[in-house]
Amino acid sequence: MINNDRLNRSRIFYFSLFLFLAIVLGYLLIVLQNLILPIFMGILAAYISLPGINYLKRKGIPKSAAIIILLGVLSFVVFVIGQKVVSAIPNEKENLELRIQLQYKLDENFLAFLGKEDYSSEGNIIDNLVGDELYQIFQSVTSFLALNEMEVTEFQNYIDSSLVSERILFFYVENLKHPILPAPKLEDATSTKNTSSDNSNFKANSKIALFLNAVSTWIILPFIFIFILVDEGEIKSFFLGIIPNRYFEMAFATFANVDKAIGNYLRGTLLQSSLVGLTIFLGLLFIGFKIQAALLIGIIAGISNAIPFLGPIIGLGTGILYAMIVEGIDPILPFLPDNAVLGVLIVVSLAQFLDNAVFQPLVLGKAVNLHPLVVVIGVTGGSIIAGFWGMLLAIPTIVIFKVVISTVYRQAKAYYIIY
Amino acid sequence: MEDIIKTKSLWKDFSRELFTSQSKSVVDILKKIPLLSDLSRRELKIISKFAYERTYEINEFIFEAGQPGAAMFIIKEGEVKIVKKNDANEFIEIAVFQNGDILGELALLDSSPRSAGALVSKPTRAIAIFREDLNNLLKTHPDIGGKIMMHLAIITGQRLKTTTTHVMQMENEINKLKGLLNDKQ
Repeated sequence: MINNDRLNRSRIFYFSLFLFLAIVLGYLLIVLQNLILPIFMGILAAYISLPGINYLKRKGIPKSAAIIILLGVLSFVVFVIGQKVVSAIPNEKENLELRIQLQYKLDENFLAFLGKEDYSSEGNIIDNLVGDELYQIFQSVTSFLALNEMEVTEFQNYIDSSLVSERILFFYVENLKHPILPAPKLEDATSTKNTSSDNSNFKANSKIALFLNAVSTWIILPFIFIFILVDEGEIKSFFLGIIPNRYFEMAFATFANVDKAIGNYLRGTLLQSSLVGLTIFLGLLFIGFKIQAALLIGIIAGISNAIPFLGPIIGLGTGILYAMIVEGIDPILPFLPDNAVLGVLIVVSLAQFLDNAVFQPLVLGKAVNLHPLVVVIGVTGGSIIAGFWGMLLAIPTIVIFKVVISTVYRQAKAYYIIY
Repeated sequence: MEDIIKTKSLWKDFSRELFTSQSKSVVDILKKIPLLSDLSRRELKIISKFAYERTYEINEFIFEAGQPGAAMFIIKEGEVKIVKKNDANEFIEIAVFQNGDILGELALLDSSPRSAGALVSKPTRAIAIFREDLNNLLKTHPDIGGKIMMHLAIITGQRLKTTTTHVMQMENEINKLKGLLNDKQ
């Protein structure tokens, strides 16, 4: 009787505690949602780096020194690549020039595709059949490149100050001959309510606010990264400590299996993406791209390669967009094509072939099977929830859930917890 | 000034006591186990980082027969009976383990099912060491892991020898009984 009372009290106590913690956790997740991504990324980075620390430890280097070495190497790599990437990212003027150039090139290629010299002339069979429909689609794509009123004024200032090259000026004038309405943008609505000076202040302030906001939330990433690497099993001990005796051995076995499966998957994905990125980077260098551009496209293609199906298209799209505005590439090897678009197509296809034939079989740990439908829904859902990051992290998140649930189920059966 | 120094020293002593006493006592216990007797205090301290201490009440199972083995248990204090169910579904006591004894050490080699259950007969505190941690230790500190595996092989070998002797004795007994039966017939 006394035991039953104690059992009931225990049940009420644990249920209340669980409910309280669930409410607190739920509230914190909603309030601190901006911190979720940096924390997740910090954990991922630490997780991926752990074998590196273990490798250094095996070589007789103390853990603290191993962490400092790893941090040093990572900081150096991030700094060097970051510098190259930042120098490849266009500033405000270059951004406008790029858009003008891209709009002109797209226009030129579109006309060539339809076999027209200009919009009033007769085209080929494609133009006769679906010319109007294609023009509608083309208009909606290029409308994102067209300058809005404010940007036109800004660009006029650059022209007046003789800061624009003749070539860009030519593209600009040509673009004006068949204007495209710019896509409506949220900032336009805001800018019309302000005077120009107020507007520049607003923009500067919002940029600083955005920067500070980003710093205050992302500053947590290195801390999470370091604390997880420094951890000597205390985190695991804490969680195992609160698990009842009956589930103790099962919980540890589950944790170990999940740890192994997820670790292999994440490190496999990283290795695969890095190899794809490196192949595209080297390929673009060979066909004559500038090192900064090749590096930037290689990084984008490498990162987006982690997104199934869509990733290679993003890489290809970025490469082709750049290839369309770059003029006169000079391939390192004589037999390579001097057409940049064709070159990008060959390089990306080669990278995809190597990915399927060599990299994927090499990365055996990545073998976590997901149904293609789950992948498609996951990636789409991820993009709706958190944009590009959501798309990128959707599959790892689903894999983590799948591995955790299937392992817990398997272990619970093996330990006679469930039938 | 003196007070501050005293307070600082007191805090230092307290924190040292708080944070080292547990690992110290675990190290002392680990040192007494034949499986780990070859290891130095420094090496035992490394092992103590993944030695999980648990408290069990009477009639609680540390592990049950048929479950996959994942850990070896060292009894810090208390008493544990090794039990197995007979055909009538009753527990039969096979052995009794007490302070300093180890049980389920074969789980350090593979995850094959436990041959018997470990039922707590007196309030017990036990230390668990898991196979996965030992596997990791073999990667990070192969010298320590190697010593443990060597001892594990020796213990397993000794048990095999004992079992073989028992089987031989039983076979002799059976043969004697068969002889007696034949004589009577």
